[in-house]
Amino acid sequence: MQIAVSGGKGGTGKSTVAVNIAVELAKKFKLVLADLDVEAPNDHILLGVNLGNEREVHQFMPKFDYSKCIKCRKCAEVCEEHAIVTLKDGTPFLMPTLCSGCRACEIVCPVPGAIQEGSRLIGHTYVTETPYNFILVTGKLREGEERSMPLVVATKRRVKELSWDLLIVDTAAGTGNTVSKAIEGSELLIAVTEPTPLGIHDTELILELGRLMEIETWVVINRSDLGDVNEVYRRAERYGAEVIAEIPYSENIVKTYVSGTPIVTTNFPEAEIFRKIADKIYNFLR
Amino acid sequence: MQIVIASGKGGVGKSSITASLLYLLKDDYRLIAVDADAEAPNLGLLLGVTNWEEEREHVGAKIARINPETCIRCGICRERCPYECIYMDEYGNYVVNELTCEGCNVCGLVCPVPGTITLEQVRSGVIRKATTKYGFPIISAQLDVGRPESGKLVTEEKEWASRIMKEQGLEHMIVDSAAGIGCQVIASVGGADVAILIAEPTPASLSDVQRVYKVVQHFHEPAYLIVNKADINPGFTKLREWAESEGIPILGEIPYDSSIPKSMSMLKPFVEAFPDSKASKAIREVAEVIKEEIIRG
Repeated sequence: MQIAVSGGKGGTGKSTVAVNIAVELAKKFKLVLADLDVEAPNDHILLGVNLGNEREVHQFMPKFDYSKCIKCRKCAEVCEEHAIVTLKDGTPFLMPTLCSGCRACEIVCPVPGAIQEGSRLIGHTYVTETPYNFILVTGKLREGEERSMPLVVATKRRVKELSWDLLIVDTAAGTGNTVSKAIEGSELLIAVTEPTPLGIHDTELILELGRLMEIETWVVINRSDLGDVNEVYRRAERYGAEVIAEIPYSENIVKTYVSGTPIVTTNFPEAEIFRKIADKIYNFLR
Repeated sequence: MQIVIASGKGGVGKSSITASLLYLLKDDYRLIAVDADAEAPNLGLLLGVTNWEEEREHVGAKIARINPETCIRCGICRERCPYECIYMDEYGNYVVNELTCEGCNVCGLVCPVPGTITLEQVRSGVIRKATTKYGFPIISAQLDVGRPESGKLVTEEKEWASRIMKEQGLEHMIVDSAAGIGCQVIASVGGADVAILIAEPTPASLSDVQRVYKVVQHFHEPAYLIVNKADINPGFTKLREWAESEGIPILGEIPYDSSIPKSMSMLKPFVEAFPDSKASKAIREVAEVIKEEIIRG
């Protein structure tokens, strides 16, 4: 089983929710938490652990053997990213950062061996044991790399190597196709939102994504006292999404957030809110 | 001059600070604002924009489609899709997931039946222009849900903004970038003269701002730092230590102030909505330093 935590806008508290429900649900499931916010992965920081078992993620890059290349330009024509430019005589050159590693050039090249296997390091994946009886899998895009999709895919592949009963994925901000890639395969989408006009605007987009993906969607309103929660309820209703929790702004949550101690492991009263969210998920999945 | 404001992490106050800085700089300079967070654009909202004067569709994205009539169900497309976007539906047809497809056309190239898989251009989003009530124009974008190419939208936004700058003789472009370090951020940071980084004193924000700083370094741009919510985590000195060790000047510190979320609900820059708040006092000082050190310097 897989569930996803997402939120449209950045900074709404996705990772806080993901980490805390993971700690709680790990008491009932053999659990893996996947941090698929590969541009800004933070779950390990919130869990107070150092990333472990680093593995490099390499991406295919064409390497031209100019002694074999017949300068037909097919590779450049087929490259949707325009990563291959050709000189006047047809000699191809690669602009590495634009290359997505899709191999379209290699597929169309008519001369065997003219395009050889090159590769580039685009990021890392990690598999980290946590003190909370679950495993954290993290994807981390290398700085300067533009495309997060290959790393999201690589991280999900690494997750598949492990055995688990419940996978929780924590996505990046936004609603582009890397977020839908992260969510793909989930039975439940939890959208973490803020009741501000900005938060509500972005929530609508993630609710729309949930609708398009045909995934049951729940809403958690974070910092619920900072705006008009009724507006969030109205939007949620429009998309057939249930609001399952309101989390007020709390200094205790900020404190535990910065100290790398999930709040569900403390005696602060706010811990109960996250436990209730976890219970509700447990009952849904059962 | 082109100034990009970036943070790596979402939710640290980048757009709030950008809106207030625009408000404070508008009287002295002829500006244009660019909201380069195409997946969650908010700057227009914060500047009270309700009507967009002009909207252009961006039809750059491509999505593969499989014709079930001619498909021989060999499955090669699914095998070769680099991003695992092809699945078999309940009727045994191979289908491209349009919400995850990157449009690379590998499936179309490996398909043995010509014409079965086609690459279709689809709308990836819109780019919009408005004139704010403060007099300066803003360019914003909105990526459609589940589409690729948010970086291309940002590039197009900046090109449009550059044309308007020329036409109207504007001096400075202020770019509010997205969270993260990917294509949108690279498109935002690339071509800027100066980067202003926003971070809060938390380990997560430090980690993310360090990553976006590497992107900034890649473009050899001078960087500055604004510490937001400077007092939420007393005792956390690592952010300031890092800035010092990298030689990144700190333009100022803005305390946590509940007037900021309140101003967001009012859809106004916080320095306009609550001019006497402690955050407003701090941002005015930051604006003075920016005029002095970055714009005039």
